[in-house]
Amino acid sequence: MSAIRLHKALGRVWASEPGWRGWLTTVNHTDLGRMFLFVAALYFVIGGILAMLIRAQLASPRSAFMGPEVYAQVFTMHGTIMMFLFAIPLFEGVAVYLLPKLLGSRDLAFPRLTAYGFWCYAFGGAMLIFALLAGIAPDGGWFMYPPLTGPIYAPGINTDFWLIGITFVEISAICAAVEITVTVLRCRAPGMSLDRMPIFGWYALVTAVMILTGFPPLILGSILLELERAFGMPFFQVAEGGDSLLWQHLFWLFGHPEVYIIFLPAAGIVSTVLPVLARTTLLGYGWIVAAAVSLGVLSFGLWVHHMFTTGIPHMGLAFFSAASTLVAVPTAVQIFAWIGTLWKGRPALRLPMLWLLSFFATFVIGGLTGVMVAVVPFDWQVHDTHFIVAHLHYVLVGGFVFPMLAGLYYWLPHLTGRRRFFRIGEIAFWLVAVSFHVTFLAVHWAGLLGQRRRTFTFGPDDAWSLLNLVASIGSFVLAIGFALVILDVLVNALIAARGTRNPWGAGTLEWAMPTPPAAYNFASLPEVADRDPLWADPDLPVRIARGEGYLAGAERGRREILAVDVASGRPVQVVVLPGNTALPIAMSAATGGIFLGLLLKTYWLVPLAALVVAAMAIRWVWCLGTDADAGPQAVGHGLRLPLASDSADPPGWWGSLFLIGTSLTLFGSLLFGYAFLWTVAPNWPPPSYLHSGWASPALAGIGSLLACLGIRLAQRRLRRGRLPLVPLGAVTAGCGALVAAAVTVMAGTSHDAHAYDAVAWVLAGHAILHAGVPGLMSLVVLAAALRARLSAARSGPVHVLRLWTDHAAAVTVIGLVAIWLPGWLT
Amino acid sequence: MTELLRIAAPLSLWLASFSAVYGLEGLVCSDAWTGLELDSGAGRAALVAAMVLAVSLQAGLLVALQGQRFGSGVPALRRISLVLGIAALIASVWTLLPVMLMPLCL
Repeated sequence: MSAIRLHKALGRVWASEPGWRGWLTTVNHTDLGRMFLFVAALYFVIGGILAMLIRAQLASPRSAFMGPEVYAQVFTMHGTIMMFLFAIPLFEGVAVYLLPKLLGSRDLAFPRLTAYGFWCYAFGGAMLIFALLAGIAPDGGWFMYPPLTGPIYAPGINTDFWLIGITFVEISAICAAVEITVTVLRCRAPGMSLDRMPIFGWYALVTAVMILTGFPPLILGSILLELERAFGMPFFQVAEGGDSLLWQHLFWLFGHPEVYIIFLPAAGIVSTVLPVLARTTLLGYGWIVAAAVSLGVLSFGLWVHHMFTTGIPHMGLAFFSAASTLVAVPTAVQIFAWIGTLWKGRPALRLPMLWLLSFFATFVIGGLTGVMVAVVPFDWQVHDTHFIVAHLHYVLVGGFVFPMLAGLYYWLPHLTGRRRFFRIGEIAFWLVAVSFHVTFLAVHWAGLLGQRRRTFTFGPDDAWSLLNLVASIGSFVLAIGFALVILDVLVNALIAARGTRNPWGAGTLEWAMPTPPAAYNFASLPEVADRDPLWADPDLPVRIARGEGYLAGAERGRREILAVDVASGRPVQVVVLPGNTALPIAMSAATGGIFLGLLLKTYWLVPLAALVVAAMAIRWVWCLGTDADAGPQAVGHGLRLPLASDSADPPGWWGSLFLIGTSLTLFGSLLFGYAFLWTVAPNWPPPSYLHSGWASPALAGIGSLLACLGIRLAQRRLRRGRLPLVPLGAVTAGCGALVAAAVTVMAGTSHDAHAYDAVAWVLAGHAILHAGVPGLMSLVVLAAALRARLSAARSGPVHVLRLWTDHAAAVTVIGLVAIWLPGWLT
Repeated sequence: MTELLRIAAPLSLWLASFSAVYGLEGLVCSDAWTGLELDSGAGRAALVAAMVLAVSLQAGLLVALQGQRFGSGVPALRRISLVLGIAALIASVWTLLPVMLMPLCL
């Protein structure tokens, strides 16, 4: 088949719907990546405008530009937007757009999940922007410390917008992280073993796993604070056994890894772009992978360095000071590897390289001030001053925005298919690079002199008046620079001349396709034998276009990609992806109903919306099954592979595995919170512990046994070709018993009496949710069995259910024992 | 997945032991510790024992990753897992050193 015919055949299958409807129903990663990038850029502009308002206020002493209430909303929303609505979603956008192309696939593992995540992000972000425009935006700082944000000192709806809106947006991050993890591990080109994977794949994998393990503590903290605000459950109120420091632990368990969640993708871009512009290969690939993994894990051991002034014992301070200095080592390994790459290559000083050089200078300065604040006595001096503000801007702007701009200019020809013609970008670069340092050097200085952050004004006699004026002038020039970047991108995207396919002479697979890319990326999937396939085989793009790879064309009239073995990259399954659908946007709107009900205290809406979400989720999974075993499918080169739906470990199994990892992190955080309150909080022990008797533990024990044995029996019967109706019924009954055991805890405690009772309610609620979900899933699988949608081959749903059932049994029993144990011992 | 576990294991073990020792320090400095009629000497001994255990486990894992039975068969991934094993061992010694040098509960 000719290349044109292949293109037409694939286009018919993979294209999004035409017109405005296409934006609402697309599940294609190229479309959704662009949508993420566009919306994130929009939030960057909004966050930038808020930054200008802050600098306008601080330009002169005793400024009457804003009052303290408005100023508090503006700086809170600036931080919140930049961290949650710009930085993380921008990474998601880059990963969603690029990963399948870099990895040699046609799409991500779960296209509908990408779309669902995008719409959760769009709706959740809109909630926060509405609050800003209505003058009821959050005003407790981007880290929302109680008791300032508790029901006593912040009784309005402002804080609720943050807690509920950000949790809604975090669904998007979790969805993207599951998507990225499974895609990197399973949806690569044949032959792309882990050690041949593009370096950005490693960074994306580490970042995604960090999101899966880093976000749950914040989600838990937000839930606890909202429960305290809405229902008086005293997690953070000392008089009733709570402790406001618990929030700080939960927040920074997320907050410090968050810094690396933002930095690592940018470092991935540096490691991808730098060698191409230096016209050489990346020096120390293995060292860089090790450094990225090290940063990812070490960053979880640093959270207390944000709490050095809270009265923690010196030994605890020393632990985290040591860990904080340690993290400089893998960062330095990367910096030296990049410098070595420049040294061995022939660097071309093109615009992306200018941004990379600016990144080097700025990020190294930010890193060094980071080492300074890791030293406890220094931190005590500068804590909560503008020195910290300047440090974090050096790290986040220098370490994230500058590399992202390098990436933007590097992949702009890929996004637009055009060659950059207008040279506004160079002027913009110099404006930004110089004015950034003018602004934040002055802010550093003001902080060292003692200017406190989050204060809306200062006196004319304060030593930092002139410095603030300099910083404000610098920041407005900075804003002009960023505006010129946007103008440059727009004019070059819209009216520049058409460009060539691989303008930088890169070696990675995203350049092996015509640009802008077609919806299906590759006319056939390439076999990869090198880390830089296009350098090893310059004719590869032509052979891909001719259909000489795997899954050439779309002969079966459906969207197909290959799943590979994790380590070796050997193809093992054919994955059939779903087509365009409005289900993700509808389900995210229904999910929004849950959050809106909580926000507006219209609690009747919450179960109603949850029912709609559950119904849509059932429809979602029902579409994945087939009515008969399809048998091995021809994929080209004489190879025949089973469908993923005919396999024991379809992508859904892998997605469930990582989602359960996330759930376990949340559960672990909850147990940590319980142990923290029990050990550290004043006013413990509570007036009384719950005494369970024998019936509830027996119910929990029988329920977990029934569920775990039932699912194993179901697998066994299915393997023998028999329908597992009774075992699946046992799973449902087991989950029901677990729910009933958890309900007895709620019946035996009063949710607002003491922090112990409140924790008991949350653990019981957690158990009800986690046992309820597999209970519902078992009914769906039972229905699938009755409709002959299960067989020995099509056993994937039962394997997925086993993961969720075992998880439910474990967390329910552990959670309930944790509640009952003090009662048994006293 | 086994290859990824080899890469993830060393520093995950460090994170688990680091968090556990920090938690133990919290327990040693809490009222619960004195409620058990234990003094600060016992607290220090418990922390040092925990450190020794953590470092030993880390060293054991490094030895295992070097061996034929548990080590990776892919040379590049083997190197990465060993580098991370050494990094985790150094991290354990460096970050847990305060249990020997710093005052308890001050």
